[in-house]
Amino acid sequence: MPVMMKNLISIILFLFLLPSCNEWLDVQPEASVSDEDLFNTEEGFYEALNGVYTRCAQSDLYGGEFTVGLPDVMAQNYTNSVYDYTGYTKTSIFDYTDPTFKSKRDGIWKAAYHAITNCNLILENADVKKDVLSDGMYELIKGEALALRAYLHFDLLRFFAWSYQQGAAQKAIPYVDAYTNKVTPLSTVEEVITRVLADLNEAKTLMADTDPILSASYVVGYTDDEEATEEENANLFLQNRRHRMNYYAVCAELARVNLYKGDHTQALANALEVINSEKFPWTIPSDFLESDVTLKDRIMYNELIFGWYAEAQTTALYNRYSSAITGLYISYDAGRSLYEVGGVGAEDYRFKGWFTQVSNSDGPRYQIQKYMRDDDVNRHDLMAPAIRLSEMYYIAAESVYGTNPAKGWEYFNTARFNRGIGTGLDESSGAVFITEILKEYRKEMYAEGQMFYAYKRLNQNMTSQSNVVYPAGPAIYVIPLPEGEIEFGNR
Amino acid sequence: MKQNEYVKRIFADNLFHIFKVMRIVFILIFWSVSGAFSNTYSQKTVFSFDFKERSIKEIFNAIEERSEFVFLFADDIVQDLEQRVNVRVQASTVEKILDEAFRPTHLTYMVNDRQVLITRKEQQEPRSFREQLQQTKTQIKGRVTNRGKEPLPGATVVLKSNTLKGTVTDANGEFAVFVADPGEILVISFIGMKTQEVKAGQGTTLLQIILEDRVTDLSEVVATGYFNRKKEDFTGSAISISVDELKKVTPGDLFQSIEAFDPSFKIQENNLLGSNPNRLPNINVRGTSSVPSTSTEILRRDNISSNVNMPTFILDGYEVSVEKIYDLDMNRIASITLLKDAAATAIYGSRAANGVLVITTVTPEEGKLRVSYNFDLSLNVTDLSSYKVLNAADKLEYERLAGLYDYDNALSQDQLDEAYYRKKYNVVSGVDTYWLSQPIEDAVGHKHSLYIDGGSETIRYGISFQYQNTPGVMKGSKRDRYGIGADLSYNLDGKFLFKNTLSVSQVKGAESPYGSFSNYVRMNPYYPMTGENGEIIREIDSWTDRSGEGSSINTEVVLNPLFEGTLHSFNESTYLEVIDAFSVEWNMTSELRLRGLVSLNKKVSEADNFLSPLSNTYYFYSSEDLSERGQYDFQSSDEVTVDGNVTMTYSKGFNDHFINIALGANIREYNYDTKLISATGFTNDRFTNIGFAKSYKEDSSPGSSSSTERLFGSFLSLNYSYLNKYLLDLSVRADGSSKFGSDNKVAPFWALGLGWNLHHEEFMKSQELISQFRLKANTGLTGSVSFSPYMSNTLYEYYKDNWYSTGVGAIVNQYGNESLKWQRTRNYDLGVDLGLLKDRIYLSGRYYRKLTEDMLTDITLPPSTGFSSYKENLGDMRNEGFEVNTRINVLKTKDWSVNLTGNFIQNKNELVKISNSLKQLNEEADEAQTGDDYKGVPLVRYNEGQSLNTIYAVRSLGIDPENGKEIYLKKDGSRTYDWDVDDIVPIRDGTPTLEGYFGGSLYYKGFLLNCTFYTRFGGYDYNQTLVDRVENADPRFNVDRRAMEHRWKNPGDVALYKDVADRGTTYVTERFIQKDNVLELNSVYLSYDFSGDLLKKIKLKNLRAAVTMNNVWRTSSVAVERGIDYPFARTFTFSIQTTF
Repeated sequence: MPVMMKNLISIILFLFLLPSCNEWLDVQPEASVSDEDLFNTEEGFYEALNGVYTRCAQSDLYGGEFTVGLPDVMAQNYTNSVYDYTGYTKTSIFDYTDPTFKSKRDGIWKAAYHAITNCNLILENADVKKDVLSDGMYELIKGEALALRAYLHFDLLRFFAWSYQQGAAQKAIPYVDAYTNKVTPLSTVEEVITRVLADLNEAKTLMADTDPILSASYVVGYTDDEEATEEENANLFLQNRRHRMNYYAVCAELARVNLYKGDHTQALANALEVINSEKFPWTIPSDFLESDVTLKDRIMYNELIFGWYAEAQTTALYNRYSSAITGLYISYDAGRSLYEVGGVGAEDYRFKGWFTQVSNSDGPRYQIQKYMRDDDVNRHDLMAPAIRLSEMYYIAAESVYGTNPAKGWEYFNTARFNRGIGTGLDESSGAVFITEILKEYRKEMYAEGQMFYAYKRLNQNMTSQSNVVYPAGPAIYVIPLPEGEIEFGNR
Repeated sequence: MKQNEYVKRIFADNLFHIFKVMRIVFILIFWSVSGAFSNTYSQKTVFSFDFKERSIKEIFNAIEERSEFVFLFADDIVQDLEQRVNVRVQASTVEKILDEAFRPTHLTYMVNDRQVLITRKEQQEPRSFREQLQQTKTQIKGRVTNRGKEPLPGATVVLKSNTLKGTVTDANGEFAVFVADPGEILVISFIGMKTQEVKAGQGTTLLQIILEDRVTDLSEVVATGYFNRKKEDFTGSAISISVDELKKVTPGDLFQSIEAFDPSFKIQENNLLGSNPNRLPNINVRGTSSVPSTSTEILRRDNISSNVNMPTFILDGYEVSVEKIYDLDMNRIASITLLKDAAATAIYGSRAANGVLVITTVTPEEGKLRVSYNFDLSLNVTDLSSYKVLNAADKLEYERLAGLYDYDNALSQDQLDEAYYRKKYNVVSGVDTYWLSQPIEDAVGHKHSLYIDGGSETIRYGISFQYQNTPGVMKGSKRDRYGIGADLSYNLDGKFLFKNTLSVSQVKGAESPYGSFSNYVRMNPYYPMTGENGEIIREIDSWTDRSGEGSSINTEVVLNPLFEGTLHSFNESTYLEVIDAFSVEWNMTSELRLRGLVSLNKKVSEADNFLSPLSNTYYFYSSEDLSERGQYDFQSSDEVTVDGNVTMTYSKGFNDHFINIALGANIREYNYDTKLISATGFTNDRFTNIGFAKSYKEDSSPGSSSSTERLFGSFLSLNYSYLNKYLLDLSVRADGSSKFGSDNKVAPFWALGLGWNLHHEEFMKSQELISQFRLKANTGLTGSVSFSPYMSNTLYEYYKDNWYSTGVGAIVNQYGNESLKWQRTRNYDLGVDLGLLKDRIYLSGRYYRKLTEDMLTDITLPPSTGFSSYKENLGDMRNEGFEVNTRINVLKTKDWSVNLTGNFIQNKNELVKISNSLKQLNEEADEAQTGDDYKGVPLVRYNEGQSLNTIYAVRSLGIDPENGKEIYLKKDGSRTYDWDVDDIVPIRDGTPTLEGYFGGSLYYKGFLLNCTFYTRFGGYDYNQTLVDRVENADPRFNVDRRAMEHRWKNPGDVALYKDVADRGTTYVTERFIQKDNVLELNSVYLSYDFSGDLLKKIKLKNLRAAVTMNNVWRTSSVAVERGIDYPFARTFTFSIQTTF
């Protein structure tokens, strides 16, 4: 009996201590997966990284609002219908207290930081679980996540904060580099730029040896092109490098950021690295103006250094630019004036390919064709452009202009020739150069969300389609942070 | 040999008198307590006899028949009892009778309360026994007492090695036996007490043996679900109710019955769903201890649907859902115990904070095959007394007054006049349809339950069958229940007890195809239901108006809601549940016991909801959508629960000390998996199968959800009492749950209780007034984890249907708070139990305070974190209240008995600290308050220092007699005609001053009448009917009478309600907050127990017939329409209970 009693008591004692048995209590959900489990395999890292891109390509961020919405409205690219079906009228006159504006702005902020948080989780886990990643994959994944984090922060900076030239020391946005529920305080414009550059440079170093796009056998092209190898890698994750933050995209972003900062040397060097790689061919006009929709290039696909794969936004983008009265459009006069149709732009491919004239009770107007789809027969995926080859030429032109205006005009003219404007320019006035380059930005990146940043960077006045002038300054260029952020002391 | 028979006789007697024992069990158990008044029963009970030449046995029988006395005697004196004597007495006590009867015999007796022990005068021990004594060597002396140190005369003492050797104790409880070996074990037993084993020893000291009461009476035991505790030395708050008592209140609704016995078990009123038989109740015990954590939804005060405050339900030792209890056959229940405070519930740890309801079912009894059958016939009659709608003539007049026929630029005056006179024609020709009675009917339901049990001491069996149909008062609504169960137990040498219980139940519920009751309330009485040929008219009327300036002309078609009833739409849900529970009890020694239980519960549910393509819902579908008409939603779910526990109990008395230890562990896993699909496009009303659908519902895809919860806990419960006077309870539990964050996987809980049984003190023994006086106090920490699993995980979700060009993506959608933990509730409880005049007056009072800390709430985050909120333990809520239970036995004679009972509570709730997201909900409530859906409804708001029951509205001075407009008070005290959402302030706390049940019962010769009333007063309520059906009433439809009679009509009218012609919206205002005083006749019960010859003739063991009426009558200071979507019903039940 006493022996039995002893055994019994030890059994009971054992039972009493059992609740600390953590493994059994660690239950994992079926429909979703916890961070610990996800990052236990290389595939998990793929999925997490793909998730960031998918998140960014949603309609509240680059798949919609942040590419074709607010920034372009503020850059006065669209004509405002008197009915204001899209709710953008107040935004176009820079009324930042408008509830519609606020909700769209808050959506962008929230989505961008959601994506940033996901980058941070990948970065934290990549270092902890480096051993689950195969050769080269660690560098590629970490590099992309760093570059994405920088890319997103830089766009938020360009959108919300003072421009670098006007207010480098002003409080800007929080630079969030950790997965946390704590408030990250605001950094200044200068600080954000510094950290963006640091992340991008680290990414560039990491990817310099590992990105498949660097290999000579990686040939950019349309999906069905025989010579194109973009979709030939046995690993789906390594296909379509231009749909993700590839090495050249990092270089291009570095060029962009350095130009924003005014570091022309670095900007030029990075832009030239992209240009001189000759990876990205100019679009052949016949492809762009093709009437057979199965052979038609609507976006100048091969020139995209980086773009967001946005097939999921097909309907949303169609509706945004539909010919119905509720879509966004540009009026007949404004469209023709923007592309200088009466002058040098008579043969501009972009105007011919991206705009089509429609008429309704309001009279003739132009419908934007960039994001049109022809069911499933398109020559390329639906993309929301992020960085174009042409922008590298503009950056190179601007960067070199101060020291060598002729070289600047040369880059400028090269880009224009490839758009069907045969007349070259070589004016000696810097003001004319800026005016002309802004015109090209506008034509080239219409409905791509970049124009507003160009104006802000150069601190230019903006002129509405009805010729109202909005003088450059914080009233239009500095956007109040979301109230949800200010509440927590971020002001 | 004889000695053995003697012992057997005592036990046989015990069993033989089982029914008698049940009747007098209170006395048997309290042999111990009875010392102070031990012979009072015999002193007070008198007899008159005139026996001539009757045997002593016959005299015993005569006394036993007329009183509660039991005669105990050994077999070897049976012969002596045949001796014939003469007894002639007048109003004499039993002692006198026996003195007289025994005069010519060698017999003597000993009376201990209701027990009379008969022995031979010259011979305290049987002769054969004495012979054996001489062969032994050591004489062992001992004294047998109860825990109150009172001697137990007549207790049996035998040797374990040879049960033929032994003795009985004398009048001082003392005994002497001879043993050969000091290691010999003595077995001491006594009727109504637990048998105890004691080592004999050297015989140098007087053995002190304290016997424990063998507790059998329900009211004296507290079932904790793991083990049973004696109520007398329990310091926690618990209420035990037997099934017979429950049936006397509401035979058809277990929960309502429990509430009548303990109003702190509160069923939330649901005025929308009324008496819908498929409505599962929402219950809380001692107030709500948490706020809805996941909700961003706006909450109506009158319809808080979230059930985060549900108590835990334990059925025969394992946890079950509220639905299981709701569908459980009351006849299967043996007892119900509600555990309320920390000392009672701490052994449930993280499941304890909201109280625990422990239910034990009946177990088979030993004996010949026994059949128990219960039959209930119930009649449900709709209670429409709260509805006071207008009749046809008044309604038309009201429309005229409201200006419906005044020119408004939509129709010409001629057209308006035509419409008016067309209706007038209906009124004059006598059309006055009472729409309210159309979708309802008197529903007759019946219930049969059969239990067959029996068996030997070794093997017992029980089989149960149940069938019940519960039709609701809305036509077509019902809940049918079928059940079958089998109990089997095997007793191995009294050492091991194996038990297996299998039960299978099937429940099928259906909602009425007639739709919401409110659709009928609003129909105008001057509309005929049917056309000339008796066919249901679908399109009854149409209204054309121009709402607002410059707006277009609107035509609203009035459709007949009865048309829905003619279609084949249905909304059904069924489930099949199988539970098997297997337990082993191992009585290692008489003090040490080990019990293990494992149960497996599988439940498969299906829900089918078909809406006919001809339904009024699709009446306005455009021609291109015609193929989308009709919808079928199908959902199936599968739940599997495994619950196991092991408990070791040890109880022993050492001299004046008594100790009771329970050590246990339990483990539980719950898996849930559900799938659902929706289909649309049905060709016609006949094809109701989902297979006839054209396609999946537009933009829908199959849905699914699954989850797993795991819990592991172990506990130690220690109970110590000294002299049965000073009591100490200590419980500790550690719980591990899969719901906790990884930083906090184990949660500790504890409780400490102290008690003092003053009535056992010497100084209390000299008086007769106070028979029971107990003071108790306890405190402890309990927990609650009523939140969904995985909340503590950082979760990635896949973009399943939106792949990126380089593969599928996963995204973080939930910030995992790894330090997430359980809600902690600090409990403080003070109690007093007072019994006066031998417990004929019983009073029990409790004061409690529950402080819930670390309430689980959403914390809003700056969006730059990537999340809008996360779960955190933040916020405190306090519940404070008292409970009073009284029972008064006004009259008790052999034939008559009158009892009064009253059970009252008060619970005050206060939000002590809340999170930022709850404050944000107030802003959302403000926004919703101005919208269409909640314009006149006071919404739940959260403010520190306020209660969850606080009613928020704009202050009002009433209706201006000048113009019929309402005058509001702004926050700054100024007056205005304009309602502003910013002026909403907390106005009243809705909590009643006192709430509870009271009633009485009257017993006369087998008849029992029991009445229960419910009352609450001192609180406030918002009269929703006045807003929705008087002021915001659409005059085009039927309204409450008050809309016509009490609204302002002319300048100078002092009216309660605004201008009759004002069709503007009335928003939430103080004007509709009214004192909420309610008195309800909850139940009337009348039963008759057949007895005597009639029973014998029809060979029944017992037979009871009963009639119950529920929700008979009600009066309230707030006149509201009750049962908006489903009306309330009065229930009449006739039942028969029999055993044969």
